[in-house]
Amino acid sequence: MKHYIAHFLLFLFAAVIGPSQWAQAAEPEPMILTTTASGIGIDAAVAALNQAIVNHNYTFVRQQAMDSRLVPYAQEVRSVRLVYFCNFTKMDRALRLDPRATQVLPCRVTLVETPTGVDLIAVNPAWVTQNMPGLHADCQEMKRDYLAILEEAAL
Amino acid sequence: MNRRALLLAFAFAASLGLGLSLPLPGHADPLLVSKAVDMRRAMDDVALAAANHDLVLVKVQPIDTALAKRGFDNPHMRLLFIGSESAVRWAEAAEPRLLNLLPLRLTLIERDGGVTLMSDDFGPWLQEFPEPPAHLMVEAWQAEMKAMLDDFVAQ
Repeated sequence: MKHYIAHFLLFLFAAVIGPSQWAQAAEPEPMILTTTASGIGIDAAVAALNQAIVNHNYTFVRQQAMDSRLVPYAQEVRSVRLVYFCNFTKMDRALRLDPRATQVLPCRVTLVETPTGVDLIAVNPAWVTQNMPGLHADCQEMKRDYLAILEEAAL
Repeated sequence: MNRRALLLAFAFAASLGLGLSLPLPGHADPLLVSKAVDMRRAMDDVALAAANHDLVLVKVQPIDTALAKRGFDNPHMRLLFIGSESAVRWAEAAEPRLLNLLPLRLTLIERDGGVTLMSDDFGPWLQEFPEPPAHLMVEAWQAEMKAMLDDFVAQ
């Protein structure tokens, strides 16, 4: 009898928690997605990233220096660049699901030039939406797109 | 043995129950304010509120028109990016991963004769960086954003 009670309690709590929160608790998402393009400068890395963006069915939106418009143009730091891009079909779907999707829109990669190459860094959209169940599945797909784009850009 | 299994089941159940009653990691809501103006007036008021807090409007991303001109429904939303040089320099010096949060993003949502202004959710960032100076920086940006949003309402 006690054996049945124990199993019942376990079942009850598994049902209450639900599979999504269970998986969420088990596998926390990393905040940052990153890769390194070795042996190239920032302009070449931006060009490679733009090509990868197009190859994965996204549209280039804009690029800017990290301190763009915060300092005079001539004083902008050129070694840190932001590249924004978007897939408008995915954006439309995400905004219909939850307006908080704007927190991951448009997509963005930060490029940081180092002595050995360029680091390409993105905030993991699946990390941002960990507590937004309606968006999380779409953002996991977006995370896979980011990883593919970063990998291709770093080749 | 059965009693031990029962106790273990209770302990497990109790710990899960406690976990459910606590906030999930990174859980917090974005800052939200609303007022009865149209989008154009809201943009002007945001620019003024930003200037009052030594923040610069870096970029307006009109995702409403971008989607509409591609044949999607107009979501009646715009993104604004605001920043300050000091925030960029602090992040560069103290915690470069925080550059991914800059420039700060605001979403303008036009609905039912009014506009809602929504910040990104700072909660996950505060959770991810529990120690100073990064934690204090995110708190400061959050407070600055809140003050700016209050100013927007008061315009």
